[in-house]
Amino acid sequence: MAAAPETIALVAAPPHQGLWSKAFHKFCRDRAGLVGLWVVVLYAIVALGVWLGLWASDWAEVTGPKWGPVSAEHWFGTNLIGQDIFARALYSTRTAFELGLVVAVLSTFVGAVLGAFAGFFSGGWIDELVLWFMGVIDSIPFYLLVAAIAFSLGDSPYAMYIAMIATFWVGTSRLVRGEVIKLKELEFVEAAHAIGLSEVAIIFRHILPNTFHILLVQATITFVAAIKSEVILSFLGIGIQDGMSWGLMIAESTIEVLAGFFNNFIAASLLMFGLVMAFNMFSDALQDALDPRSVR
Amino acid sequence: MAMWRFIGTVTLSSLLLACSASDDAGNSHAAVNDKKVFRYAMGGSPTSLDPVQSGNAYANVIVSNVFDTLYNYKYLARPPELKPGLAEAMPEVSDDGLVYTIPLKQGVLFADDPAFPGGKGREVTAADFVYSIKRHFDPATRPQGAWLWQDRIKGLDEWKAAGSDYSAEIAGLRAVDPYTVRIELTRPYPQLLYTLAMGFSAVVPAEAVETYGREFGIRPVGSGAFRLESFNTAKAVLLPNSNYRDEPFNLIEEGYDPATQAYTRVAELEGRSPPFLDRLEIDFIQEGSALWSSFTKGDEVQMASLPDEQVEFVLDSTRPVILKPEFAEKYQLATGPEAGFVYSNFNLDFPEMGYNPDPERNARNKALRCAVIRSFDWPARNDSFYMGLGQVFPGVIPPGVPEFDEAMPRDSVTRDVAYAKQLLADNGWTPDNLPTLTYGTVAGVKSRLFFEQFRAFLKDIGYPSEKVVLKRYATFGDIVRAWSRSELPFVSKGWGLDYPDAENTLQLFYGPNASPGSNDANYANPKYDALFEQAATMAPSDERTAIYRQMNQMLVDDCVAVTGLTRMRITLWHNNVIAVPDSSIVGGGFLRYVDVD
Amino acid sequence: MELLQYTLRKLIAGIPLIFGVTFISFLLMVYFGPDKTYDLLGKNPTEQQIAEIRSELGYDQPFVARYFNYVTELATLNFGRSESTGEKVSDLLARTIPVSLALVTPGFVLGNLFGVLLALFAASRRGSWVDKTIMGCSAVGMSISFLIAIIAFQLVFSSSYGLGWFPVRGWNIHSPLDYLRYVTVPTLATVFVALGYNTRFYRAVIVEELSRDHVRTAKAFGVSPAKILSVHVLKNCAIPIITRVVFSIPFIVISGSLLLETYFGIPGVGKVAFDAITTGNQPVLKAVVGLTAVLFVLAQILTDILYRVADPRVSLN
Repeated sequence: MAAAPETIALVAAPPHQGLWSKAFHKFCRDRAGLVGLWVVVLYAIVALGVWLGLWASDWAEVTGPKWGPVSAEHWFGTNLIGQDIFARALYSTRTAFELGLVVAVLSTFVGAVLGAFAGFFSGGWIDELVLWFMGVIDSIPFYLLVAAIAFSLGDSPYAMYIAMIATFWVGTSRLVRGEVIKLKELEFVEAAHAIGLSEVAIIFRHILPNTFHILLVQATITFVAAIKSEVILSFLGIGIQDGMSWGLMIAESTIEVLAGFFNNFIAASLLMFGLVMAFNMFSDALQDALDPRSVR
Repeated sequence: MAMWRFIGTVTLSSLLLACSASDDAGNSHAAVNDKKVFRYAMGGSPTSLDPVQSGNAYANVIVSNVFDTLYNYKYLARPPELKPGLAEAMPEVSDDGLVYTIPLKQGVLFADDPAFPGGKGREVTAADFVYSIKRHFDPATRPQGAWLWQDRIKGLDEWKAAGSDYSAEIAGLRAVDPYTVRIELTRPYPQLLYTLAMGFSAVVPAEAVETYGREFGIRPVGSGAFRLESFNTAKAVLLPNSNYRDEPFNLIEEGYDPATQAYTRVAELEGRSPPFLDRLEIDFIQEGSALWSSFTKGDEVQMASLPDEQVEFVLDSTRPVILKPEFAEKYQLATGPEAGFVYSNFNLDFPEMGYNPDPERNARNKALRCAVIRSFDWPARNDSFYMGLGQVFPGVIPPGVPEFDEAMPRDSVTRDVAYAKQLLADNGWTPDNLPTLTYGTVAGVKSRLFFEQFRAFLKDIGYPSEKVVLKRYATFGDIVRAWSRSELPFVSKGWGLDYPDAENTLQLFYGPNASPGSNDANYANPKYDALFEQAATMAPSDERTAIYRQMNQMLVDDCVAVTGLTRMRITLWHNNVIAVPDSSIVGGGFLRYVDVD
Repeated sequence: MELLQYTLRKLIAGIPLIFGVTFISFLLMVYFGPDKTYDLLGKNPTEQQIAEIRSELGYDQPFVARYFNYVTELATLNFGRSESTGEKVSDLLARTIPVSLALVTPGFVLGNLFGVLLALFAASRRGSWVDKTIMGCSAVGMSISFLIAIIAFQLVFSSSYGLGWFPVRGWNIHSPLDYLRYVTVPTLATVFVALGYNTRFYRAVIVEELSRDHVRTAKAFGVSPAKILSVHVLKNCAIPIITRVVFSIPFIVISGSLLLETYFGIPGVGKVAFDAITTGNQPVLKAVVGLTAVLFVLAQILTDILYRVADPRVSLN
């Protein structure tokens, strides 16, 4: 029996349609979240400017004395070989964004797809395989895994990215899987089946879009995790290879700090803290806004 | 709740386990309990303490105290001189320089250890020495010291080729009687005695090696001044070896110089028999900040090298080196050049910058290399990383060896940007056709900064920054592999002197030592090689020094390397310690003479 | 009985997991990992010497043979000897694991304990300035890198530029007092960093629980807040809390302790494992990775069992 198109549209409509507009309004009322967002945007502009070559392109130039103090010319002073710390810190913003965006986007994407498939076919072999894979990755301590990938890829500059993506997708995947397991019981999925959509189409066109609220929040969490992990990885020597990053600056500062030279340490820590804190606030507000059950 | 009990049990048992798993008894206060405890610190940790594998400088420090070698360096003589250790006297050498007869001291005992029958250390004999050297030619021990005696001792290489059978005799390495060693060389080897003072030639007892097998590396048993009580990744604890040979300290014999050494109070040691400590602890602290914190605490480390970052904070001046008053009243200080130097060399195997079959390109390459060398700002490098304390010198004969030439022209270490630019222009080099210079280094904060500074130097002479590329290696082993396989066009490294003879550094450019050997510049100059072979059999003399200097000049003229800088080591110790730190050739030998009050 | 069957089933299901982990880590760390040959060579190696050492290290055997050897070693728990020092790996682990445990346990316990307490405190006064402050501090704590915290705490508490009350580095334990001296600063750093995450997580769980109907009913009935918290809320929160705690145990021991051990000079298993990777010390690596995999699987099973015990509604299927 052919159903009227409007009926199908109604039945096929995702249940959370009102979620986004509600979320938007709720978010705008959260002051902390707004502040976080503006700060993140500010950093993003800085990073974009560096990428376009507008500023901090001279971060590797030797322009000052060794451990020069804060001055008009060098806002944060200079490092061991006379490079401007402020320029290096700004350049690192670009590195952080690059890293954060790439890892967040890719790991969320991979996590979403794998999680959706696992959840949709839950109990089946795809689900078992994905779960097994998640278990394997979880079983290897993070820093050891990154080190291992870095070494086996022959110190390619992408080793860290790959290692991070390979680890962070798991969290997203679990959440998506859980959500999809719930979603697939809903009526609109049954209806989609009834009108003959293939399973892959259902997953991509109907199910995944309903997980976007989870994905968005997870992406922000992953962004922060990537930046924070980079600090420790660069300290251990398996992080960023080319260019400059906050982690490298902090690693540099470990040899300077007890000589009484704190500029490197403070510059990198402050800037990183600023971005991470702002992003966290933004992420929290986002999570609260998108949570259909939360009572504020 | 059950959870709390569980947590409690875990905590308690971990505590108990940790207590039993931890090391050493007694605390580290020097004079408490009337025990003389000395805590030393070094910037890295040893891996294996088996003399066969003690190539690591940190391992050598411990090996030189747990084991004994035929010859030692005199404690106080500067520049370093040899004296008999396990040997009774300096050797009898035949006229042709090929046969060395070395008498051994009698009554020297190994430390007590369960590996010996009855647990008592037995007497050291000449056969033990022969056994110890044989081990370097047995692949199963993974030896690192074979290169010292390869091709030099009659029958030794053949012994290895025949399967390293320990029961077989070697013609050139024999224990003539229990107290006499006879070494027969295939050609004169003036540096032989030095090799017999290196950790590699330490004497080990076969019983212990056979009993502990691979574990001998963490359970060494020797006849040295100390025995190893415990060893982990953070520290080693040594206790005096009660069987150590009685040898009263003699200031004159040890090369005492009152003018420069009276302040250390070593005169108080006269007549007493080392070791003087009841307990020796050696901490392995890599981070300078942690090292300095530990040193200044007062009840932890008592002697250490001053980390570079602290120099400005601690010293009033660097030339001469003077402590600030608040430190001068608490600590003593000694400075001295390291036995070694840091430098970089080109790998001439790469036709872009090295040897090229086309003579014109070959000449242009050489000009390029010379330009790079003249762009290097040694004073800036010295100031940034070595506190301005390093000694910059031209060529490859460093200040640590007797053949060092103070008067050598210093053009090759003087920065001349104009000249370098001119060289490039004259030889048709432009920013477009300059080859990419790949700079290989091990991962690390400092090495990255070295690279960035080098790139900035090159930028000044017109070398585009995109063409100076960093290639990072994860571990030292990885970069050594790259050097061995001649994969890098530009090699930056340091070299530690094995003995105070320039032959040790000149061999770095000796043709036959090309990759995978230590000549990673792959320098191949027949004239140089001929001179090297000639000097190799000569005993130290003015004539030989002249040849050495001639070879050195050849290297400078051919623009093979950007050399070099010898680091200055500043050692500090607490006032209650009586010690004179070694030059690093000896690597730890001074510890047996340390006293605390 | 059912529980036993369940446990057994889970254990068996964990075997493919262990295989997966060992295979991947073997591939990464052992087969493609760093070459230890050049670490062991002397100064002027000849081609022949290089070949000899490679042979000693087993690098010249085919992949399948090496993997098979690995699996056998794991199964028989015979890990051989460390490539760098020659010490038996089992001895090495027996020596270093208790140290790592002793190092991280106080921080772990206190971090979670205070996390739960602060979370309870915050959740019970939700929306008030107390709650906001605690959450604000927690956000700050989450934004500070562990490395930064370690450097800062060592500077402030241990160095002679700060208070100098505690040793800078080391691990000489002969009495409980010594233990306190050496473990305090690392613990402070750990708790500082972990508290942020823990508090936020537990607060979320507790808040969720508090908003449930049965709690509202209890409140309506006038049950005291303390009783509500302890009886009605905590018991149901037990599952997520326990899951989190148990799940993090295997990693705390190895990952969590790496930085602490490096910075404070503590001879534990984290640094040993990391060094093993960076230098290609395969016997040690194999042991560490294999053990972690087993620990993880056990942790999973333990969690599932605890789930069952805590909440009889959870089915064993």
